[in-house]
Amino acid sequence: MKVAINALHTAQGAAAGSGVPGATTRRPPLRQRWRGSRNLLPALLFLGLFFFAPLIGLLLRGVLEPVPGMGNYAQLFANSAYARVLFNTFSVAGLVTLISVLLGFPLAWAITLVPKGWGRWLLNIVLLSMWTSLLARTYSWLVLLQASGVINKALMAIGVIDAPLEMVHNLTGVVIGMSYIMIPFIVLPLQATMQAIDPMVLQAGSICGASPWTNFVRVFLPLCRSGLFSGALMVFVMSLGYYVTPALLGGAQNMMLPEFIVQQVQSFLNWGLASAAAALLVAITLVLFYFYLKLQPESPVGNAR
Amino acid sequence: MLLTPNAMGRPLRLGLYLTTGAIAAFLLLPILFIVLLSFGSSQWLVFPPPGWTLKWYGQFFSNPEWMDAALASLKVAVLTTFTAVALGLPSAFALVRGRFPGRDLLYGLFTLPMIVPLVIIAVAVYALFLKLGYTGTLLAFVVSHVIVALPFTIISIINSLKLFDQSIEDAAVICGASRLQAIVKVTFPAIRPGMIAGGLFAFLVSWDEVVLSVMMASPELQTLPVKMWTTLRQDLTPVIAVASTLLIGLSLLIMIIAAALRRRNATNA
Amino acid sequence: MSAVMKDDTRARPLVSLRNLNKHYGDFAAVDNIDLEIQDGEFLTFLGSSGSGKSTTLSMLAGFETPSSGEILVDGQSLVNVPPHKRDIGMVFQRYSLFPHLSVRDNIAFPLAIRKQGAAETARRVDAMLKLVRLEAFAHRRPAQLSGGQQQRVAIARALVYEPRILLMDEPLGALDKKLREDLQDELRQLHRRLGITIVYVTHDQEEAMRLSQRIAIFSHGRIVGLGSGYDLYQNPPNAFVASFLGNSNFLRFTADGNDAGRFEGQAVAVRPTPGLAAGQEALIMVRPEKALALTVEQATREPLPAGWNEVGATVTELLFLGESQTCHVATQGGTPLTVKALSAAGMPMQPGQPVRVRWAVADACIYTEWAKSDLSKGAGAH
Repeated sequence: MKVAINALHTAQGAAAGSGVPGATTRRPPLRQRWRGSRNLLPALLFLGLFFFAPLIGLLLRGVLEPVPGMGNYAQLFANSAYARVLFNTFSVAGLVTLISVLLGFPLAWAITLVPKGWGRWLLNIVLLSMWTSLLARTYSWLVLLQASGVINKALMAIGVIDAPLEMVHNLTGVVIGMSYIMIPFIVLPLQATMQAIDPMVLQAGSICGASPWTNFVRVFLPLCRSGLFSGALMVFVMSLGYYVTPALLGGAQNMMLPEFIVQQVQSFLNWGLASAAAALLVAITLVLFYFYLKLQPESPVGNAR
Repeated sequence: MLLTPNAMGRPLRLGLYLTTGAIAAFLLLPILFIVLLSFGSSQWLVFPPPGWTLKWYGQFFSNPEWMDAALASLKVAVLTTFTAVALGLPSAFALVRGRFPGRDLLYGLFTLPMIVPLVIIAVAVYALFLKLGYTGTLLAFVVSHVIVALPFTIISIINSLKLFDQSIEDAAVICGASRLQAIVKVTFPAIRPGMIAGGLFAFLVSWDEVVLSVMMASPELQTLPVKMWTTLRQDLTPVIAVASTLLIGLSLLIMIIAAALRRRNATNA
Repeated sequence: MSAVMKDDTRARPLVSLRNLNKHYGDFAAVDNIDLEIQDGEFLTFLGSSGSGKSTTLSMLAGFETPSSGEILVDGQSLVNVPPHKRDIGMVFQRYSLFPHLSVRDNIAFPLAIRKQGAAETARRVDAMLKLVRLEAFAHRRPAQLSGGQQQRVAIARALVYEPRILLMDEPLGALDKKLREDLQDELRQLHRRLGITIVYVTHDQEEAMRLSQRIAIFSHGRIVGLGSGYDLYQNPPNAFVASFLGNSNFLRFTADGNDAGRFEGQAVAVRPTPGLAAGQEALIMVRPEKALALTVEQATREPLPAGWNEVGATVTELLFLGESQTCHVATQGGTPLTVKALSAAGMPMQPGQPVRVRWAVADACIYTEWAKSDLSKGAGAH
């Protein structure tokens, strides 16, 4: 705390007092261009030391260990078991994105639509779900979905199925659990976008002769597009890198990339292959994140004053 | 039209409301389920439970392993919160107030830990601490948690700082306060909701962090999620439901605090 | 254009700005300003947004550092004094009250910073609350006050430590017209009572006229007019000030000598103007209310008095504005002119009718130099 305040003091106070006393001409010193940037130092130093350096170190191991070269990458793409991991990762992420969009869209729409009080409650449910311990929710799904779990028993009781469905320790469980976790990340940006739409625009649409369906497809959906895209992109990126839910709800046969990385490090001590897989995941993530940023309408730091 | 419920067709409206109810129930289901299970008497998590009991709570609170884990979690979360706010506060000031080039890029760098998959951060930081011989220490826990908590505090403080009219701080300066005095006496009180929210986020992120913690953990030091994780991989004992319920309770508490702060701030603004 | 135009020698200067510049890269926000502010005067910086008036005020307050030049108060340089040690009071555009403090604590803030004793603080805060008539609101938070009340708190907070100079940056801009006028009256009385030096920034010329003893008109980072509102309006120093303040008619003519010329072929007399030579193009500026429009019959009935000019024109439009009436005409050469008269005086003409427009030579200003942009309203910003 003390460090923080000191840092603020020196950088802010320096602005007024710079310059040569008594002189009538003052050139703005070069450091004025970087005015206030000194406050970034503590956090930059911290992240540099504990985040960027280890990250770069890890990514380098992919081309340096066990021998320098692209061997790890070749192995990653050539081995059919590893290729299957990649395929699983992308198909699960894609499916999870699709399901959470399908479930998130009506929820976001309803929150915008219903009277204020109800909307608040729905939003609170979404937030509660988002901020509830990830492990607790995953554990809950594990119990709910198991062969002797409530869902199987209920389905058998009403006669839909005769034998329990296998819904955990395979990709089905992973998709259910992850879609559940990702819904809030669709609802929140989408709801913000819908909230910002002027209802008059839709009225104008119908005055112009659009049927409700046309109005929905030609006016409402395009207006939601930025929120929908950024939410979906975010969910896809997060799904690619998720570890906890797949590790608990998934099976040993159908691994995803994050589990694969941990397994290589912890069980096989194969840092080279793990690093190559990590580099691949980071690269995909950053490219998608770049597109995500392109979708954002304004600078996050903004222009105060 | 599509945003005014009364102008919508009745079938469409009904359909939407029913779907919404189902999805909201879907969101609540696992949370309610786990809370109920923690009071259920069945060792095998039969639902509906044959009877109600507090014995799993008794087991949780009397087991030193669970208690140590909870205490470790609390320690790590509190230290993470203070470190993240201390690092985030000056950074937020620099990013909002600074007039230097590349601020958007720097903002991107600071939020990167939110984007890079946790597994990769965990493996990278694990490699570092392995080399330094610090795995399983409190330091390793706090440092790794601060990495992922920092973006939350920075974003939260930036948001409140952007809403703060800097001429109020200038007014304090012209009244005779030095820039530092003005920031402490005027700006900090005004952006306090953002600082507290940032701290709460950091606390929640740390409190709930699994992946990094599992990597950093040692038999001597493990947080609650680590203990839950290792237990979960052996069996699904209802004690985990107790731990989960306590975690849910804490999240709920923090959400209520945050909401109360928001409301107070709204009436003061 | 030199900035110092008229020096009020009655009082001594309290503040001097000398060759003051503020550059942002290649852009000169404030371009070589010289200005003396007298002790106890109410001076207004008037200009459109981006004209440099607020930047100049910011340099006075200390929030901006001049690129070059000097700011002197009582002969002492302020340039290297940080804002919190300048002992200057300031009222901001958006009130800028401390949201977490009560009205009383807001006003007491400068005294608390100066570590005044409790009794003295209470006494002075009470006096200020009384001065701005907010005794009953002392314990409220700023958010619980109306805009006008908030602005009065801001004024009290700026005055409580008895600064010699009070800076006001468009303090009434956010208020509605009626409230603004009330506060303008209060402010004028306050200035008279306290004898404090006030530097006021506004883009509202009526406000500038109402409040100040002297007005400095800013354009493109320079002061292009300085003087009392009356002088600036009646005898604008240049075409820009003439068109910026109020309404104006510009007639372009060719001089025959330093006191006469031809406007669209008709002989006109002008004020003897030094430097005006035969063959030179120049401008006559006549305020709409100083010009008269007469029908042909009226013109024949009333012969042209000595010292007046007359040109022929055709009515294009008549407008009734309540208290006054305007008549828009065009001369044979196509120059548009506006004539304004009180409704009571009456203007019995119709659109399309020929009229005679008259003005007294003494009421018309002559400009030998001007830029095209000077003649259009709203110029002055970058």
